[in-house]
Amino acid sequence: MEMSDTPHLLLVDDERSIREPLAQYLTKQGFRVTQVGDAEAARTRLQAYAIDLVILDIMMPGEDGLSLCRHIRATSETPVILLTAKSEETDRIVGLEMGADDYVVKPFSPRELAARIRVVLRRMAAGGARQHAPETGSYAFSGWVLKTGERSLVDREGVSVPLSTGEYNLLLALVTRPRQVLTRDQLLDLTQGREAAAFDRAIDNQVSRLRKKIEVDAKSPELIKTVWGGGYTLASEVTRL
Amino acid sequence: MTIRRFLPSSLTGQIALLVALALFVAQAINFGLIFRERQALRFNQVTAPAITRVVDAIERLRAGRTLVIPRLDRQGNPRRERRGGRVDLVQANPIPAGLDPAADVEDGIRTALTELGLPHGQIVTGVRQIRSNDPRLATYSTKRAERLKRFGGELMIAVEIPGEGWLTLSTPWPRGARDVIWRLAAQTLIFYIIVLIPLLWIGRRITRPLKSLATAAREFRPGEEAQPVEERGPDDVRAVIAAYNGMGARVTAMLDEKDRMLGAIGHDLRTPLAALRVRIESVDDDADRARMAEIIEEMNRMLDDILSLARLGRPSEPATEVDLAALVDAVVEDFRDIGADVTLEDSPRIRARMRPALMRRAVRNLIENAVKYAGGAEVRLTTPPGSVAIEVCDRGPGIPQDKLGAVFDPFTRLEGSRNRDTGGIGLGLSLARAIVREAGGRIALANRDGGGLIATITLPR
Repeated sequence: MEMSDTPHLLLVDDERSIREPLAQYLTKQGFRVTQVGDAEAARTRLQAYAIDLVILDIMMPGEDGLSLCRHIRATSETPVILLTAKSEETDRIVGLEMGADDYVVKPFSPRELAARIRVVLRRMAAGGARQHAPETGSYAFSGWVLKTGERSLVDREGVSVPLSTGEYNLLLALVTRPRQVLTRDQLLDLTQGREAAAFDRAIDNQVSRLRKKIEVDAKSPELIKTVWGGGYTLASEVTRL
Repeated sequence: MTIRRFLPSSLTGQIALLVALALFVAQAINFGLIFRERQALRFNQVTAPAITRVVDAIERLRAGRTLVIPRLDRQGNPRRERRGGRVDLVQANPIPAGLDPAADVEDGIRTALTELGLPHGQIVTGVRQIRSNDPRLATYSTKRAERLKRFGGELMIAVEIPGEGWLTLSTPWPRGARDVIWRLAAQTLIFYIIVLIPLLWIGRRITRPLKSLATAAREFRPGEEAQPVEERGPDDVRAVIAAYNGMGARVTAMLDEKDRMLGAIGHDLRTPLAALRVRIESVDDDADRARMAEIIEEMNRMLDDILSLARLGRPSEPATEVDLAALVDAVVEDFRDIGADVTLEDSPRIRARMRPALMRRAVRNLIENAVKYAGGAEVRLTTPPGSVAIEVCDRGPGIPQDKLGAVFDPFTRLEGSRNRDTGGIGLGLSLARAIVREAGGRIALANRDGGGLIATITLPR
């Protein structure tokens, strides 16, 4: 019984200098960690154990992390968190599109990784079915397209309208939940997952900034509507591209 | 110097001009030869007989013989057609004024008469053009009319014999030199057409591929996948194009190699950094650990800067239409989110073509400097004609006037700021300048009135 209480993580990284201290840290954080140095070993462990989550380095000699990620997604529902380097921006996007649940950029804080692991595990436990990572593909609404890969908002004429990190996170939260009323607390929750430090200003402020950018008339908003006593909602159909 | 301005500068133009000049000289020589030959021919056919007849007539006159030897036809009547062909003696100069004189004939007659010691007064000649429908032709014999028509002119000669009157005679006269000039001009024109058309064609065959080669070389951007230039034209030109294409491929391959190497370096340096970042989690002292994490983060940023600067020659991000006002606003907003004192003047939408992530970085680096050295920044967007300027102003210590240019060089930091606390290795401005230049713009620093620095990015629009 104790086994099922302790989530079993599979840590796949060819770099022993990262893998070993990370495994140590995660064990200390209350996870059961199995570590392997290459994709082949990872495949056998995946068959041998009931793995709850895979932490996967993208850049590995031999079969790389992306290929392994594809294999895992094709054969099971096990969630995957990718370890990426910033220079592998496209790999990150491909990884997410391949069905990875989240990613951290090297050099990452182990605390942050542990927090991400818990979020993904909680989500799996709650919903059962895994959901698509929101940060993939593009969302079209009322003539606008939010491209998550490049984190850019493009208008009807194809002009890119850059967004601040806060604005982007808020808009992403809204377009992935169209026509749902989201309270300020919910929005804070949804947008703080990433770059928490960059988002400590009031939601209302961010909303008014976003409105200025995407509404025809920011004084009488048609897209991001205020719900009396509730919060905000995106009043538009959203198409996932 | 001034002549040079009128000379064609293109290859085809120069060859065409040269060939035209050569043809012209050849034709001029040709013309000279033909002209001399005609002169000689005329002398033999026209001038010499005319002189002989004049001399003969004078001698006969002096001998008291009749001028005209009456030729009788078969019936014994004098033949009419001798008129015009014979030598007449008249009282006054019969040659109307205004006709072209034939100077060589006048000279010839004068010389002959002088040599023979025959007395003579004025010698007048005149050439009359004969058209095919000339009414006077009817008064001549058919044979003579034919000759006159063929020659196209009639030379009238009058020699004053003192005490006797004027001896006159006429003879067919070949068309003038003007005619020859026209014919030669037409000939030259035909030559030009025959020679220059193929010449221009071959010129185009050479210059068109050269032109596309020049265009390709000018627009060669190492970062972008370039289409090889089509190999066409003569073999020599093909060889040049093939060599160029080969060179372009080698440059691209070298840059690819550099990219791969930088990627490997980046990966190899990040790995120990990542390992270190994981290991410091076991440090118990929170303050210590936070400081270590900060240093690792800073090293990582430097690595990013170095890699970005090195990779700028081959940006992976495509250029798109961007709302520059929103871009600057987004950067400013990110600074405000972390509590930095950065203000932005409201600006209308400004469309420009650029690589947004790189431009964000350039603007961010400028604002970062202002925040670092002056504790805050005022950002402004202005639109001078044809361009757009992003101004980042601060009230910091500024930069000594003589160092304003040097701070853009990589790894340059001013003595006063060589301080680990401020971080960075002086790549921020170099990177910003490289990004702005790649976008076709300029970046400048100036000290502000009243203290502080103003950094301006100017982009074409």
